[in-house]
Amino acid sequence: MATPSTDQSIPKLSKELCSRLLADLERAKRPVLYATKCSLDNALYNHKLGYLTPGSKKVATELNVSSVKKMSRAIFMLEVLLRNIDTGAVNTKRELYYISKGYIKHDSTMKPLDFADQNESDEIIDFICEMLECYREEMNCYANDRGGQTYSQQLIVTETLPDGDKAVIDLSKLGTSPFQPKNRPQNLKLSARKKIDFCVIVESEGTANTLVANGFTRRHSCILMGAGGVPSNAVRGWCKLIQDQLRVPLYFFGDLDAYTLQNIYRTLKAGSAASLIRNSDYSAPDVKFLGVLPEDIKKYDLNDYPVKENDAQEVRALKKAADALKNDPFFQDKRNKGLAQILRWLLENKRRCEQQAYFTVDPKDVTMPEKIIVEKIKRGNYV
Amino acid sequence: MAKQAGNNKITTSSTAEYFSKNLQQVGFSSQTKAVLTTLKEAVDNALDACEEHGLLPEVHVLVEKAGAGSIKNSDQIRIRVEDNGPGIDPDDVPKVFGEYLASSKFGRGRCSRGQQGIGISAATTWAQLTSAVGARVITKTDKMRKALSCLVEVDIKNNRGVIKDRETIDWDRPTGTSVEFLVDGRVQLNGEAGLLNYLNGTALVNPHLKLSYKLPEIEMQTIDRVSDMVPGIPEATEPHPHTMKLGEFIAHSHLFGKVKAGVWLKKGFSRVHEGVINDLVKGGLKRSVLEKSVDALNEVEFKQLFVGLQNQKLMAPSTKSVLWIGEEALSKSIKRLGAVDFFSVVSRKPTICDFKPVQIEVAIARLEDRSIEAESAAQVLRFANRVPLQFDKSACAIVQAIQSVNWRSYGLVQPKDSLPQGPYIMAVSVVSPFIKFKNASKETVDASDELVAEIRLALIQAGQRLSKHIRKEVKANELEEKIRHIEQFGPILVNGLCRIVNASEARKKKAEEGLLKLLGRDAKATEAELEEAHALLEAQQRKGQPTDADVIDTEKLAEEVAEEAPEKAAKKASKKAGKKRKSQTAEASA
Repeated sequence: MATPSTDQSIPKLSKELCSRLLADLERAKRPVLYATKCSLDNALYNHKLGYLTPGSKKVATELNVSSVKKMSRAIFMLEVLLRNIDTGAVNTKRELYYISKGYIKHDSTMKPLDFADQNESDEIIDFICEMLECYREEMNCYANDRGGQTYSQQLIVTETLPDGDKAVIDLSKLGTSPFQPKNRPQNLKLSARKKIDFCVIVESEGTANTLVANGFTRRHSCILMGAGGVPSNAVRGWCKLIQDQLRVPLYFFGDLDAYTLQNIYRTLKAGSAASLIRNSDYSAPDVKFLGVLPEDIKKYDLNDYPVKENDAQEVRALKKAADALKNDPFFQDKRNKGLAQILRWLLENKRRCEQQAYFTVDPKDVTMPEKIIVEKIKRGNYV
Repeated sequence: MAKQAGNNKITTSSTAEYFSKNLQQVGFSSQTKAVLTTLKEAVDNALDACEEHGLLPEVHVLVEKAGAGSIKNSDQIRIRVEDNGPGIDPDDVPKVFGEYLASSKFGRGRCSRGQQGIGISAATTWAQLTSAVGARVITKTDKMRKALSCLVEVDIKNNRGVIKDRETIDWDRPTGTSVEFLVDGRVQLNGEAGLLNYLNGTALVNPHLKLSYKLPEIEMQTIDRVSDMVPGIPEATEPHPHTMKLGEFIAHSHLFGKVKAGVWLKKGFSRVHEGVINDLVKGGLKRSVLEKSVDALNEVEFKQLFVGLQNQKLMAPSTKSVLWIGEEALSKSIKRLGAVDFFSVVSRKPTICDFKPVQIEVAIARLEDRSIEAESAAQVLRFANRVPLQFDKSACAIVQAIQSVNWRSYGLVQPKDSLPQGPYIMAVSVVSPFIKFKNASKETVDASDELVAEIRLALIQAGQRLSKHIRKEVKANELEEKIRHIEQFGPILVNGLCRIVNASEARKKKAEEGLLKLLGRDAKATEAELEEAHALLEAQQRKGQPTDADVIDTEKLAEEVAEEAPEKAAKKASKKAGKKRKSQTAEASA
């Protein structure tokens, strides 16, 4: 967690690392940088923790003529990031790309470090994070706040501002506007006007908006959130906050397909292999999969359709699903047997059903999807 | 039907009449092509004549604009080719230049450039049709005191050569022939279909040729010979029965007249001997048919003989009849194409493809000329019986074989299923007494699976040899890059580290020295690799090509072929590689 003490530890860690590198060079010894391997083959899952954690594998980068460029770039970028931490400035990855170009422009000796495109500088930022085992937010590098639009008549958010002041946001006073969680939701404190019964995270922000417009949050004491596709750090951290601070049951409502299950729901619940080092703060292990479930298709006579063989994304997702069943520790854990079964069903039947299919159940009744969601929660019809 | 339409009289046309109306079939389909084909036919004839008589050819070529042509947008082009060959007997002059299908080489199964006796007569026809003048010929044999000068024209109605303006003249050479055509056409010097490409290609595959040429807008050029060996033309081989169709089989009998069928089979075909004749009889053929005179055989009997032979297991034809350039001569010759960085040549041993003896030779060179765009495709020079092929390249067996090789593994740039790119010349020569062309103008070698697989093997061998040079170059680039890296990044890395930890100047200096030591070690290791690559190449050059280092692991080669080639071709290639392996092992132990 990016607490003030951690903020101080990053410069300290960085200096220690650089000092070690320098000492090695003084002795004409090859310095080696170790970074946590962030991939599925180094991911562990413990149901007690509920999220993917890094294993013991490290990627070693030894200094030689081939790696000297990468190391020089990493030290250069680290210096930029440390300067930001020192002054409290924050930047996006894109801005850091341009900042580094600016430095290089004004100092011709740095020219060999120049990044040809943002991918190159992004890679170096990720490399630094893996080396220092920190999140890029801890290096004051933020992505834009995307997804997580939240509606509630009960929720009150208190934000601690950088100058120590507090801002209180009562979501019931926002009218039809949603609350947009920040990429660093750890600075927020949550409370409730009256007991909140549940929180529903809807995959599509549009559908979330429709449910609210049709009175969902007025009729139920709840939190309703639109994930907006693959959850951003903001959405992941925000869900974790709701889970930890309000202790309300969380339900995810999205499409029934391999992509949603693996890339959206799994990331929300247990984090991802690429973010092994920050899953502890960016996952909400209590979130349940409300649907669409395979049995809902029959039960509600939903319109489903076959996976298009020429749709590269869908085919890739299915292939990945087959791989996940074999190699992903999350889906292999027996406590997630129900989810693995859904993946298997998708692989066998090669069909998919969208969340909006609930609107076909009774086209005249705009509240029908809401009714089904609430009924499913009441009956415990989720995984 | 037209034939039954009463008044329509059915007429017979002479061969000359047919070709005069279909000159596009024999290479006169466009104005630029007409000039090239005329030159090509004259040069081919000159070279064939010299080689047949064991003479080192010296050929002078003149191509010049003589005025405006009669065809719209054309020039009148004078094409003159002079050789130091044996000369032509005056009685034969009208036949050579004015009669179609009058050839000393037709169906003889020899590796000569000309085969049917069509080309040069077609050139005379083209000159006659476009300029109203035939071929101006000067020739002198060693039996003549003075040279014969005349004009040869084609009597198109009767397929006969006609001599005009006949006179004897003094000529300042012991023997030789000069032929001059005035044709309508346009001169294309550069590009794949250009005259220069043809002349350079001809020089490449004829190391014993001294060629001088004067082309429009180009000063007189002379390409000296690099070999004093006249290629010994192998004896003609008789056709193999399995390569023939029934009609050809019957036509072949006409060359023999009144001999017994059994004798005809033994004399007129390769790989047919007494044992085969006995097996034919055992197979149910009546002995009386074999005793009958060939000209008395009826169609049923011919068919019996033909089918009987097709059902026999015959030995593959002999490979002795192919004529090759050889790696040494090719190595010298390729340098005549221009300044080259490096090259590799491969002469495969003669082999059998589609029941015909064939030999493939490959030369690949990288030109020093860097004005060629890196992304342009490598220049391909195709040769069939040492004649450059310049048209219709996509359907050619040679181009298909080049495209099927994975040149990337030898360090060349190659888009998928395409020719490799860069300043390379790839010359592939196919030599066979029976080359299967796709058309009468002999522009494309038919791409049979077996032939493509054989060419592919030769290209892979050449590619492996070439990759040694390229690897050396890559190593040198790597070294340069590494040294550059050290100079560039070393100070930046140390400065950055020192700034972050607030290090003293003394620490900074020490770290810089340490870093240089470290990276210097890496550079030394690369230098050692480079030296090793140098040494390998030098050893190869000392031994001359091919070297022990170049002996190709044919098993590996076959595997590579199997990975990439279509299944069918792969099977054949691997089978062949097995046979080759045996012969190579035998050669190595010898």
